[in-house]
Amino acid sequence: MPDQQIPGVVFQPNSHRGLQRGINQLVNVVRPTLGPRPRTVAIESTSRHKTPELLDSAGVIARRIVQLHERDADMGAMMVRHLLWKLHEEVGDGTATAAVLFQTVYNRGFSYIAAGGNAMRLRRYLEQGTREIVAELERMTVSIDGKQRLALLAESLCFDQPLAMLLGEIFDLVGEYGHVEIRTGHRRELERQYVEGSYWGSKVLSPHMLTDHIKLRADLTDAAILISDLELEDPREVFPMVHMAMEAGHKALVILATKLSETVVALLLAASRDPEKFQVLAVQTPGAGASEQMAAMEDLSIMTGGRPVLKVTGDTLRKVTAEDLGHARRVWGDRFSFGIVGGKGDPRRLRAHIANLRTGFATSDDRSARNRLQQRLGRLLGGSAVLWIGGTSEPELKAREELAKRTSDMLRTALREGVVPGGGVALLACRPKLRQCLEATADADEQAAYRILLRALEEPLRTIVSNAGFDASPVVARLIQAENGSGFDARQGQVVNMAEAGIFDLAAAQKAAIQGAVTSAALALTVDILIHKKKPQATPGRP
Amino acid sequence: MTADAYMAASDLLDTVNAVVVSPNFTNDGVCFAARNSGLYRSDDGGRSWSMAYRSLELDVLVATTAVAVSPNFSADQTVFAGVSGGILRSADGGATWSAATLPLPAPLITALAVSPNFAKDGVVLAGTMEDGVFRSSDRGASWAAWNFGLFDLHILCLALSPSFATDETVVVGTESGLFRSTNSGRAWRETAFPPEAAPVLSVAPSPTYADDGTLFAGTELKGLFRSDDRGQSWTSLGADVMTEAVAGIVLDPAFPAKPHVLVLLADRLVLSRDGGASWSDWRASVSFETATALIATPQGVEPDAPVLVGLMEGGVVRL
Repeated sequence: MPDQQIPGVVFQPNSHRGLQRGINQLVNVVRPTLGPRPRTVAIESTSRHKTPELLDSAGVIARRIVQLHERDADMGAMMVRHLLWKLHEEVGDGTATAAVLFQTVYNRGFSYIAAGGNAMRLRRYLEQGTREIVAELERMTVSIDGKQRLALLAESLCFDQPLAMLLGEIFDLVGEYGHVEIRTGHRRELERQYVEGSYWGSKVLSPHMLTDHIKLRADLTDAAILISDLELEDPREVFPMVHMAMEAGHKALVILATKLSETVVALLLAASRDPEKFQVLAVQTPGAGASEQMAAMEDLSIMTGGRPVLKVTGDTLRKVTAEDLGHARRVWGDRFSFGIVGGKGDPRRLRAHIANLRTGFATSDDRSARNRLQQRLGRLLGGSAVLWIGGTSEPELKAREELAKRTSDMLRTALREGVVPGGGVALLACRPKLRQCLEATADADEQAAYRILLRALEEPLRTIVSNAGFDASPVVARLIQAENGSGFDARQGQVVNMAEAGIFDLAAAQKAAIQGAVTSAALALTVDILIHKKKPQATPGRP
Repeated sequence: MTADAYMAASDLLDTVNAVVVSPNFTNDGVCFAARNSGLYRSDDGGRSWSMAYRSLELDVLVATTAVAVSPNFSADQTVFAGVSGGILRSADGGATWSAATLPLPAPLITALAVSPNFAKDGVVLAGTMEDGVFRSSDRGASWAAWNFGLFDLHILCLALSPSFATDETVVVGTESGLFRSTNSGRAWRETAFPPEAAPVLSVAPSPTYADDGTLFAGTELKGLFRSDDRGQSWTSLGADVMTEAVAGIVLDPAFPAKPHVLVLLADRLVLSRDGGASWSDWRASVSFETATALIATPQGVEPDAPVLVGLMEGGVVRL
């Protein structure tokens, strides 16, 4: 492709037309995936021996499209791709909605500018109109709860009814911060298991401490707990602490440590010779890395009322007193994890700690920090769920596991930030407000911006209806006249009350989609000139 | 003390932990008192009492910490009694008993509540001192802990919404605040109860809770609180009158049309006729040493209606 080596400058109208071709090409690729009757997009595998990848998520499809052949069009496509990728990463839903909104705003705006409109003023009013739309969406937002409603929402997000029913049940129990693990199962069906209390993925340090030899598990009641990140090498250091726990009348002792020497293990096993009288369980300090370990020890300390014994502060076991030990009604451990039920820390301190973590979660915009805080909150709130994904083949299992994780994230968002009527109805219901704005202005650019948005707000509904095989125009006309809350159930092919039918969209996704799409399209409309950089020459002998 | 009847305390400190009356109390006069020495039944409105565990032929006293009767008691004669490590169930008004044990370490039952729709759903809930809430959906035959979201497992009081059959709402007061479940006690969410006012010793939802979302919560040291939005915000009431623990709250059956609220303090009863805005003594010259439990009879909370009060030192007074 010799033209790729030549730097070039592209002026109007070719620049706009080039961008438009790319935008339309990418949006038309993801358009069939919008709604409850999506069609899939097949992506050729890089390996000739593999079957094509079948995708129905606009965000994932956009990620797979790396480059268009035509350079002007590629720049337009990449603007949409960047928007969809960002939405997929941050919200997880609303990508196809954003794509069709972007396309409508860009194409209509392009026509207006071509007819002599001012791109910069149009951009300003498009963004002003978007703020009105977002305010309307916020007004429509309602909270969602209950097993049935959550299951219906999950089904509208993942289109997998058995999975949706289980996720509805799980999130009804564990709530927005709940600790939910999604694991690969060994059966064909989906299964769920509820775990009382809090647990961490930290193994018991010696399998000989697992007193139930069949289940390979140990269960301790009314246990004292040493919370530490020490490496325990010397039995002479450990013995006084074990002796102190026995003297204090404890029948069970749990030691959290990063490492035990063989001689220390031998000492602890000797102390547990008669588990009816005294039993010790040594568990790896939870957390991968120093900061996660510190966080886990802080949580454990508040839950159980113990003082963390930290290597970094120069603590040793010699300084530990009976008052430093935490306590719990029940502790269990197996080869992979250990858990606590009924920590005996101060519940008021625990409540304050949870409130602090919630504030941290709400104010953080770092995705990984939010994930870590969510996991901590899930453990502290008590009660976890494990969802075992079943399937008949490895690709099916992987796809379903990914789908379950994505749907779980979206359900958390729905529980946290609420829902709006689904099927494109919420955006359609913003039209009266926008029409008021239109009637209140005499500015031509402002009027044009509102007219563009009025049309764009219909587009997700139109796409959902036509993707389901119906004629969109009569449905849209009917819904514009219909009562508030009415929408089109694309699965049943009829107009229904969306709230009663349980058809919702994530409020966060709808808001992010309209904001992202209009802002990006409005910015794209201000682009006059495209510059293609010269590609670097390949060095001989190097790929 | 102006008492119509008095159940004498034993030599030990035989605290009355809970009192409950039959839903048909006006006609049958049946009530139960859970005491440290066991469960007692009265068939004459609390004037005389007899031990309800006779059929068990126990050698030791079985401290009974909670008691609840079925809403259809007249027909099904079902009573539940909370004891250390288990829950006893009788289907003949306390003549014979069967026991359901709870997982070790033995939980201490602090509160019991039977679903108003018990005939159909068979749901019974039990609050415990350190192990959260146990739930049975087979009329008390088997129990499981349901503590999702309930990070404070010290349950001090428990109450069901009068519309439990439809709204499935349960509230529990704990050491650190007040939690609410809207799925029949399977999962819990923290309410905005002010943490500095906890622990919550008593709680009472409005008889029309499904419509008005009104809750009253009594604390150990900070008096009474009221919420009219299902626990999202709280207002302190009668802080000048209630400087001690609020051991019990009873709302008039016609609340909020008749906004009478009766509150049991450690040594007296106070009544508000305006939903908690102002308070006065329920009846002149009524006082106790240390009261622990309160139950109003179906006649309501007017000063002329009979009210039963359990005492720390043992005994139930019928006022």
